[in-house]
Amino acid sequence: MREELARWVALLTAVVAVSLSVLFAWVHNPRGEPEQPAAESLPTVAATPVEHPGHAVFVAQRCTSCHSVGGEGSPRYPLDGVGARLDRDTIRKWIIGAPELEGELSASAFSRKQQYQVLPDAELEALVSWLASLQD
Amino acid sequence: MSRVVSASLWVGFYLALVSAPLLLLLAGEIPPGGGPWWDLAMAFGFAGLAVMGVQFALTARLRRATAPFGIDIIYYFHRLAAYIGIALVLAHFAIVQVLHPEAVGAVNPLQAPGFMSAGRLSLILFLVVIVSSVWRKQLGIEYTRWRILHTVAATAAVLLAIWHVLGVGYYTETMWKYRLWIAYSGFWVLLVVYVRLIRPWRMLHRPYRVVEVRAESGRTNTLVLEPDGHAGMRFAPGQFAWLTLRGSPFSFEEHPFSFSGSAAQAGRIEFTIKALGDFTEAIGEVRPGERACLDGPYGVFSVDRYPAARGFVFVAAGVGIAPIMSMLRTLADRGDPRPMTLIYADSDAEAMIFREELEALKTRLDLELVCVLERPPEGWSGPRGRITAELIERVVPADHAGFEFFICGPRPVSDIVQRRLRGIGVAGARVHFELFDMV
Repeated sequence: MREELARWVALLTAVVAVSLSVLFAWVHNPRGEPEQPAAESLPTVAATPVEHPGHAVFVAQRCTSCHSVGGEGSPRYPLDGVGARLDRDTIRKWIIGAPELEGELSASAFSRKQQYQVLPDAELEALVSWLASLQD
Repeated sequence: MSRVVSASLWVGFYLALVSAPLLLLLAGEIPPGGGPWWDLAMAFGFAGLAVMGVQFALTARLRRATAPFGIDIIYYFHRLAAYIGIALVLAHFAIVQVLHPEAVGAVNPLQAPGFMSAGRLSLILFLVVIVSSVWRKQLGIEYTRWRILHTVAATAAVLLAIWHVLGVGYYTETMWKYRLWIAYSGFWVLLVVYVRLIRPWRMLHRPYRVVEVRAESGRTNTLVLEPDGHAGMRFAPGQFAWLTLRGSPFSFEEHPFSFSGSAAQAGRIEFTIKALGDFTEAIGEVRPGERACLDGPYGVFSVDRYPAARGFVFVAAGVGIAPIMSMLRTLADRGDPRPMTLIYADSDAEAMIFREELEALKTRLDLELVCVLERPPEGWSGPRGRITAELIERVVPADHAGFEFFICGPRPVSDIVQRRLRGIGVAGARVHFELFDMV
């Protein structure tokens, strides 16, 4: 009798938790899946036979844990078309978390980006070049 | 306030606590989503952590919150809630791992950021907590050790999960949301501090003294306690308390036992304990004057919950007689005139506790006593064997409308008797038993 009540409350808890989670997903994504650039418009990730050295840096430095390009990596902060929005100099500043960006970024993201200041110049420039090439 | 209303309010409060983190994150400015599956996975993570966080409140033995349900059923629910919590956390991990493996990144803690390793370790600890609880006996983990493991691993798992949430950031980037998350998490930590430090400290300052250890028949002892420098506790007959003997209340060595004495005698506390394990076997060596600490009373297995009952039927097996003895002694002290029947089963006459006193109680109560022995002595005229359907049918009053039924014994016996009672038309709501294997 009391066990049955406990089972009903547990079921109710599960229903509430799942419903709220679905609501949460819907509120954050009112239009469903974010539009992914079509595969053929991804010159660097899928279509180019030779990998851009900047993409290799992107993967090796685990930029994918926060960013995605063409659906690869965390969908949280997509970088598709970043080359059309920012110039090379700004892209570089965002990668290394330049001092003037403090306040623009969350404290944890800002501090995490500091580690890329020690990236060798060649790698940093390759990364900047690749990101700047992402035009759409 | 009626029991139904207060039970509904507490269920509502529980659901509100579980929902709070997600509702909180939905308030105010909402950051852009990462796709429905991504955000669903994140929501599962938050919901799972919320369910696991509230687990600390469920087992904090909060007397007001557990009273409408019975604390045994709260522990039972605690187990069900753990399944829901782990399912949510596993779904959180699985969705992200399958859809965005690059985002989850390296497993190697030397390469992965600390907060990601914290999340993984938290998941593993939650699994350890659940496996060690569900299969404690099969894994051969001793009760006290298990309690330490349970508390330490569960607390660590929740703290690691909170580190994971705050490290990942994003939803909690708004300052007030971040602070509220810290406060919400801090609340569970404070609850652990209350349960593990403040309450034991209070128990230590309300100690009891052993005044007598009485040997009963059948490897059983009755431990008699009296409050030392305070008024003691008022309990309802049939309730139980957690007992700490020869140890500190800060240690994890406490065991639940039913009161067996009369609730009508103020102050004095009796427990009737059969030697079944390390702790219970040592009861016979306890000497008067030793200190004891009690956490109680708890439980809803009591005639006092049914003041309008027309009569009672009690079924006891073995040492399950203890809480029923408490009810009978109390009812006798109160001069209760209602009709009652006791079916008392045990292996043999030597094992049977309280035989003479029960016979004597028949003069003070309208009590029908039926003893059932598995291996009766020569010349035994009473029923033998187990509690059969025929016996139940013969002994339970034909007109049992308005009667309340109390069963106390090992789980298999309790289950069989419940079925037999249903068989003669007793409604489930009138049959009461304690889920002792849960506490």
